Amino acid sequence: MNPLSAVRLPVTPDMMRGVTPDIARPTIPVYELGKLSPGAATQPAGGVAPTFEGTLGRIVAEVSESQAAASQAVAGLMNGQNAPLHQAVLAMEEASVSFQLMVEVRNKLLESYQELMRMQV
Amino acid sequence: MINLLTGINATASALDAERVRMEVISQNIANANLTRDVDGKPYQRRQVVFEKILNQAQAGNAGASETGVQVVRIEKDQRPPRLVFDPENAFADANGMIAVPDISIHEEMADLIVASRSFEANLAVVRNARTMALQTLSIGKR
Repeated sequence: MNPLSAVRLPVTPDMMRGVTPDIARPTIPVYELGKLSPGAATQPAGGVAPTFEGTLGRIVAEVSESQAAASQAVAGLMNGQNAPLHQAVLAMEEASVSFQLMVEVRNKLLESYQELMRMQV
Repeated sequence: MINLLTGINATASALDAERVRMEVISQNIANANLTRDVDGKPYQRRQVVFEKILNQAQAGNAGASETGVQVVRIEKDQRPPRLVFDPENAFADANGMIAVPDISIHEEMADLIVASRSFEANLAVVRNARTMALQTLSIGKR
């Protein structure tokens, strides 16, 4: 028998019930993975599984779109149209973060490819 | 569209609203001595009225409705003008009094500080959202 087991205070969850404040559990949103499946928007609902190329292409297209939006916002600012400064900066920020996400995906992809190439046959 | 920076829409709307507020305050300060507005009366102090906006596109998601703030209208402050004795003025009445806007620079400066601080607070939200996104992305790094 474990000698320490006798030392441990016999605290059961029932005893703790009155002690701890009854904090309402935050409801964790259940994300429907089916809805999140990449390429679901572009693929027709004909039972065709989304391809990885399609997903990657969509991400790249979205990144490029956000870059274009950012440069458009900056151009609007520079042309003296009444574009607010923070909108341009926010667009740039969004573009930068999405670009980093894309780079991260690409790194992972390359990493897995190299891992496969190193595999002993 | 990928939503990488969480809550950025609400923050952007707040930044917009604070910017309008600052513009109105600057207008108040600039026109503090304007005795003739376009309607011939002394300039009246302007105030912004904020209202909540609900992003309808995201209201469908349970609990994820993103609300923002917007300036619904710019109201005129109805306080009466101050009467100042200035007989030399072209607009002086028979008693040598002119009506000047009742704008206190101190009040406007206090409002300006409030607007600038809330702008800063929203910028801090943006910074934090950016940091959170980048730190999340750094999970994948080796």
